[in-house]
Amino acid sequence: MPFREINSKMIEATVVPGQRLYSQRGAMLAYRGEVSFTPNIQGGQGGVMSMIGRRVAGEATPLMTVEGSGTVMFGHGGHHIQVIDLTGDTLYVEADRLLAFDGTLQQGTMFMGSQGGVMGMVRGQVTGQGLFTTTLKGHGAVAVMAHGGVIELPITPGREVHVDPQAYVAHHGDVRNKLSTALGWRDMVGRGSGEAFQLELSGNGAVYVQASEEKL
Amino acid sequence: MFRLQGSRTLAVDLAGDAVKAKNGSMVAYDGRVTFKKMTGGGDGLRGMVTRRLTGEQMSVMEVTGQGTCYFADRASEINLVPLHGDKLYVEASNLLCTDAGLRTGTTFTGLRGGASGNGLFTTTVEGTGQVAIMSDGPAVALRVSAQYPLFVDPGAYIAHQGNLQQHLQSGVNFRTLIGEGSGESFQIRFEGEGVVYVQPSERNTLGGDV
Repeated sequence: MPFREINSKMIEATVVPGQRLYSQRGAMLAYRGEVSFTPNIQGGQGGVMSMIGRRVAGEATPLMTVEGSGTVMFGHGGHHIQVIDLTGDTLYVEADRLLAFDGTLQQGTMFMGSQGGVMGMVRGQVTGQGLFTTTLKGHGAVAVMAHGGVIELPITPGREVHVDPQAYVAHHGDVRNKLSTALGWRDMVGRGSGEAFQLELSGNGAVYVQASEEKL
Repeated sequence: MFRLQGSRTLAVDLAGDAVKAKNGSMVAYDGRVTFKKMTGGGDGLRGMVTRRLTGEQMSVMEVTGQGTCYFADRASEINLVPLHGDKLYVEASNLLCTDAGLRTGTTFTGLRGGASGNGLFTTTVEGTGQVAIMSDGPAVALRVSAQYPLFVDPGAYIAHQGNLQQHLQSGVNFRTLIGEGSGESFQIRFEGEGVVYVQPSERNTLGGDV
């Protein structure tokens, strides 16, 4: 368990030799011990090809590698931080919401079109997530930022969850998502309820929702 | 049934019944839930005209169905207020969600509104049920009784309920006129029996500048 929540907006990470940590560049607040921060040009793991992939996908956030021995405190922009523990499953999250994550986790980029085809691409555009999203897989902890704190909603088969695209933060597990529309004539005449598009998540896992409809 | 999920998210369990919520404030739901905009704040034609005229407009949607619906708005703190036949006075912008059985309307607030930046009119909620109101930071409920009147900064006031009279009072003196005011030149004085909800933050008000 490398991350410890100090308060709702700050976390403390323990760094031990031989174990590296990735974090958003500039998110370090304070540290104790012998810790070095190296900017990671590749924006994560996986060599030059992954770097090109991320650049093309627009999912390249400036990351830095944190190594050494000691403790580091992270926080960014006064946003609330949620620590998510992964036990072998995959977390889907926007790259700019990532604050820090274990070096042992496998980082990847997913094409939204691969889930739901053309509708998946439309979904990416509507939700403002773009056509690609970042995936993290393995065993370890991830610190994710959200505006106004998050709630975790479990998804079980037969009990799908609908989420406002602007309030969606991340999800993990074996979850399919698709864009569901409730467009009616009211929306056409400008009398909509403001809830015309929703992300429908079904399967087995959990989704994280923030208490706000503002992007980071 | 209203319950809080954390301090900034409201969870409402629906079993075929309806609630009224601020337009676009849904963040997630499960089950089968539908959203329909209510024109003119759901007060009917007369209420619609009144709201237009008074500037106390609110866009409200009716939420019906079966399941759990989650509401939140710009990370504001949410407070639950139970109503038992009494009347709650709240600003339309601070109102997040009400039971569908509650009646909403508008009322004239007098001079206070001008100084508090709220406008001259406010929204009333009346009946029996629950109301969710929003505040910037966790709100405190302050009790007012006959012998203890309460003074509130107009920018920090969010709502009140009960049998209360309110007066705007000013502490404007020559210091204020030469620009050396303390920033506390106007207060609302509440007298009577009831509860006033105050937020730990101040809106930009006319009174706060002097």
